[in-house]
Amino acid sequence: MTLRPSGVRVRLTLWYSMALAGTVLILSLYVFFFVRARLFSHLNLRLESDFKAVSQDFLEDPNENPEIEIENSVKIVQIVKAGTLFYQTPAYQKAGLPRLGKLPAAESRTVRSSSGARFLLKTDLVASDVLLTVAVDEEPVRSTLRTLAVILMLALPIALALAAFGGFVMAGRLLKPVAAITARAEKISAENLSERLPIENPRDEFGRLAGVVNHMLSRLEEAFERLRRFTADASHELRTPLTVIKSVGEVALQENLDAAAYRDRIGSMLEDVSRLTRLIENLLTLTRADGGHVPLGLVETDLVRLVQRAAEDMRPLAEEKEQRLTLALDGPAIVRVDEGTLRLALVNLLDNAIKYTPPSGAITIRSRIQGNDFLVEVTDTGPGIPPEHKDRIFDRFYRIEKDRPGQAGGAGLGLSIAKWAVEVNGGRIEVETREKQGSTFRLVFPMSKKSA
Amino acid sequence: MNILIIEDEKKVAQALEKGLESEHYQVQVALTGEEGFYLLASREFDLIILDLMLPGRDGLEILRTLRKTDTRTPVLILTAKDTLGDKILGLDLGADDYLVKPFAFPELTARIRALLRRGRSDQPLKLKLADFEMDVVKRTACRGQQTLPLTAMEFDILEFLLRNQGHVVTREMLAEEVWKETERATPLDNVIDVHIGRLRKKIDEPFTKKLLHTVRGVGFILTERES
Repeated sequence: MTLRPSGVRVRLTLWYSMALAGTVLILSLYVFFFVRARLFSHLNLRLESDFKAVSQDFLEDPNENPEIEIENSVKIVQIVKAGTLFYQTPAYQKAGLPRLGKLPAAESRTVRSSSGARFLLKTDLVASDVLLTVAVDEEPVRSTLRTLAVILMLALPIALALAAFGGFVMAGRLLKPVAAITARAEKISAENLSERLPIENPRDEFGRLAGVVNHMLSRLEEAFERLRRFTADASHELRTPLTVIKSVGEVALQENLDAAAYRDRIGSMLEDVSRLTRLIENLLTLTRADGGHVPLGLVETDLVRLVQRAAEDMRPLAEEKEQRLTLALDGPAIVRVDEGTLRLALVNLLDNAIKYTPPSGAITIRSRIQGNDFLVEVTDTGPGIPPEHKDRIFDRFYRIEKDRPGQAGGAGLGLSIAKWAVEVNGGRIEVETREKQGSTFRLVFPMSKKSA
Repeated sequence: MNILIIEDEKKVAQALEKGLESEHYQVQVALTGEEGFYLLASREFDLIILDLMLPGRDGLEILRTLRKTDTRTPVLILTAKDTLGDKILGLDLGADDYLVKPFAFPELTARIRALLRRGRSDQPLKLKLADFEMDVVKRTACRGQQTLPLTAMEFDILEFLLRNQGHVVTREMLAEEVWKETERATPLDNVIDVHIGRLRKKIDEPFTKKLLHTVRGVGFILTERES
């Protein structure tokens, strides 16, 4: 898996620049059209006031004074009286505007002169038969607008380039922790799982990501450590029966024995082969449990019947040790479970209880419904579990009496198998213990509402 | 009875060959899939013991090819693969039984006997060994003139031992047949030993001729001969 910070970086920059380009474009268009409207409305106002001034001037003395005093800045004027040109300024002539005089227009409009220049022009009757035309040059306004357009059009790519550059730098800076995480993560393997990713700011997104990855690494490290210990313990446990087989075989070969004696030696070897086989079967069960590949046949089952059967199956063992095995079962309790695995758990627990309870002790199996839970309790009168061991008794290969491996029978897998088997059936296992008085293993199964 | 063993592990194949020969079967061994194919094509067998993981041709492939032409010869699969999926796959392809390695030899021979017996309804309702008799319908057992007080569990164990009389029965076989145990990891060995001890007290102790014997490291056998 490779992170591609450069890819993300380019994409971030691209998005950022595009968003900015859009904003600048919209803003530019808005500015351009706003300025344009304002300039033209201003020009129009000037034309109106010029027209008013000229018409007043003309009406004051319409016949005698053909030379109209041109005040203010009014320069382009034409007066048509009774269809003939009465007066026109030189500027009007120079502008090359057409001679108008037909239709009076109340509104001002833009007219293109013969030279191509544009003028804003207003024509109206000021008296009967007198047509006054006044115009102003649009050129200064248009030139201003052209300059503005150029400025705006230049600003867009410049802004874009700046944004892209800034965005790229910023994205790079933002993504730097990712690059650092990637570089470090690439170096972490099964051999150096204790290493952790660098966290610059634990509160930002990358810091949190690194934190989550670090947490995952911790769990992985623990899992690896467990696996390492498991493998070491397993090899150790396998070695014991192997040693017996090997030495019994070797010694038997050196001796001169009769057929019956050889048979006995082979039998002894086979006993340890069985022990080895059982151990491997247990290991396989746990390994498969780890992989989560155990297909379960979940069916609605009466747990009380299951407990009863397991207890009756194990009763002969208790009887051999003259222990009292008492059942106090309250039920039925219908729970969806896989009978095979659950029985495995129950038989293991009972086996354990019988094993650790001294001869003529007592073992009690109780079951009851409590709220929505079904409880099974196996209480023994064994030595109990010292508090320092309580948390670890479900660990694989964990034995309280470390110095006597395999003496009491098991390899320390029974309880881990029981725990797994209970949990895989949706239950949980608890232990209560008082030293020298005994222990109670309690299985808790949540029941479906229907059967409660 | 001719049995073909297709098994690539030489030591396992040889052990099976010797063991089955001592049980008076004629045995042919193929150490590769190809050899197995050749032998299957050239002669007839009464039963085939097939390992699944073979070099070259895989056991399932051999089974598939065999079942195209021959649907009758019983096939017993031997394999180290023991997940439910593997079993179902093998049985779906037409295998008749399935035994997971490491298996106990007595269990293999018991399965072989069952497969070869198949089709013949020779499940006698009265079982007998020397002066020991069992009525499977009435569920009573007696030795000589004396009726033996057996519990239901003891009766089932004894019936299984008696049906396999003269052959060793392992603890795993008892767990599977009598307790119907599905999980191989369930620890029942001690329970079985207690039951056997009690049975011995009931059927052997009062009599001079002992019938129930322990085969150390393997299991138990119900037989007239001294062991």
